[in-house]
Amino acid sequence: MTGETKLTNLQGNHACALAAISAGCDFYAGYPITPSSEVAERMSVELPRIGGTFIQMEDEIASMAAVLGAAMGGAVAMTATSGPGFSLKQENIGLGIITETPCVIVNVMRGGPSTGMPTRPGQGDIMQARWGTHGDHPVVALAPASVAEVWSETRRAFAIAEAVRTPVILLIDEVVGHLVETVAVDANPEPVTGRVWAEGDPANFQPYEAGPSLVPAMAKPGDGRRAHMTGLTHGPDGFPTQDPATASAMLTRLFDKIETHNSLIERFEAIDCEDADIVIVAYGISARAARRATSLARKAGLRVGLFRPVTLWPFPETAFRTATKSAGRILVAEMNAGQLRMEIERLTSENQHVEGVNRFDGEPITPEAILTAIDQSKEQAA
Amino acid sequence: MTQLQKTSFKASDYRSDNTPIWCPGCGDFHVLLSITKALVELGTAPENVAVVSGIGCSSRIPAYTNCYGFHGVHGRSLPLGAGLKVARPDLTVMVMSGDGDGFSIGGNHFLHACRRNVDMTYVVMDNRVYGMTKGQPSPTTEPDWDSALSPGGTGLSPFHPLVIALASGANFVAREFSGDIKGTTRTLVEAVRHPGFSFVEILSPCVTFRPDERAWKTQIHAAPVEATDDPARAARRIMTDDGFNVGVLYRGNRKPYNTHVKDTAGDPAILEEEFEI
Repeated sequence: MTGETKLTNLQGNHACALAAISAGCDFYAGYPITPSSEVAERMSVELPRIGGTFIQMEDEIASMAAVLGAAMGGAVAMTATSGPGFSLKQENIGLGIITETPCVIVNVMRGGPSTGMPTRPGQGDIMQARWGTHGDHPVVALAPASVAEVWSETRRAFAIAEAVRTPVILLIDEVVGHLVETVAVDANPEPVTGRVWAEGDPANFQPYEAGPSLVPAMAKPGDGRRAHMTGLTHGPDGFPTQDPATASAMLTRLFDKIETHNSLIERFEAIDCEDADIVIVAYGISARAARRATSLARKAGLRVGLFRPVTLWPFPETAFRTATKSAGRILVAEMNAGQLRMEIERLTSENQHVEGVNRFDGEPITPEAILTAIDQSKEQAA
Repeated sequence: MTQLQKTSFKASDYRSDNTPIWCPGCGDFHVLLSITKALVELGTAPENVAVVSGIGCSSRIPAYTNCYGFHGVHGRSLPLGAGLKVARPDLTVMVMSGDGDGFSIGGNHFLHACRRNVDMTYVVMDNRVYGMTKGQPSPTTEPDWDSALSPGGTGLSPFHPLVIALASGANFVAREFSGDIKGTTRTLVEAVRHPGFSFVEILSPCVTFRPDERAWKTQIHAAPVEATDDPARAARRIMTDDGFNVGVLYRGNRKPYNTHVKDTAGDPAILEEEFEI
């Protein structure tokens, strides 16, 4: 990295595609869906230029499967979709988690459920990102709030996926995806650090044996190592097992692996929280409105802070608890019926009152709506 | 890096130590043997072969080979194999499936894999039944086959994979019988060598839930005519044959899928300039 930056006008979805290429992404498989198609369109132009591969698949499930296949082969792979497509990808996302296949899944969130409002924004896939695939599993999901952050979080998504050997979900809401902003990007961005490939004697290679990092080195097909990847519960040798101790050890390591890399994964912003009576929790475009609202509230003499998780999963619990130490009231502003609020309620004490500022009509939350909620909350507290 | 490269292999080099979970007498044992024999003839090192599968009895096969194995979710082995092959054209990719995995839940991928024509080999072990879930009708099951899930039969017209492969653009179409190890091996070798998407349907009896399929070995016979390169003629033959003639039925000459064929977007600098201020 030279430190040199250049100013560019970019749409969020294009920033995602360009940041992916800058991070080293050389494979994209996807299926057309609003409002994420610009990611695929940009990738279809950019990837052939760098000798990468763009492939339009027959459906969302196939796109996710192709990403896993390519990533196993050594590609730095991604796909992008929106609500209905995100639902269809879930089973293969689980396969990516259990086989520890690095990849990035972008979900440009629109209004739901079902077909919902395809051209309208929403933040209703927060819990689907967390629990969309079946069974116990860890998840990494990031939610950028600006085009600049789409750039940095896309790069970070690849860095995490490659280093930790896990699928990473990037939750961009439609507003951020289609927003055009002036951003300062690295003039000479460097690819993210690549994944750890297995070295040494191929004869005794165990594809799921992990050292202290808890991330097993990957076997590259063709390099002489025998590796068996399976969605069945498996031991260090990669072969299916129903042995309780081995099954437990596999899943425990998958969880611990994410926790071990928390410093790489966790990202949040806490603004004016130290003395706050009220803390707003918001992410994505809702956090932009919340930022404006907190700043206006401060000017009006109110002690209001903002806690903005950039990493939604795993939720930055400790940081949140620290940021809300002095707050008796917490407002969770999100474009859904209160999905992150459930998590916040879990993390607060009985002395802290949690309420939501929610909207799910296809329109973003305004600073005024949050200000009104702050006023009401203040009155209730008094 | 002066490691000696092995240039010739034995069938056992392609077999892992894992014991198959298949029932005694399952046709898939013979398919596994034919695959290892075909790989010996092809001479490709085990590590340069990727065996990809979905879910079902036949999909357990990667674990029994010594190749790079990927055992994915139900029905999605073809797109996974396609992603691997386009990212790694240097690998020999063999996708393994069964009639339930490949033609029911994976049916859409089958159509598009044929038309996309990625250079890989698709082997479907067809036993006309869901074996792993203990005997339910599959897309290739006869309409009057009685089971706990289909009392009196499904009454549904069976799926015709070979004809559908032809209509969808597969570049190589063959039918084999698992018990004919010599013929199956020969066809698999040719299928792997043939450019583009090669589809080999192997009739592989399920002796547990379809004991009637034990009779297949007496019904099998060689295809009476040479393979054609005309898909319409091949389709007509297949639709009117007795379903038991084996061998290569169609050899096409379509160009395999290539992601690096076009560069119509022009100079990247032009696009960048549009956005820079």
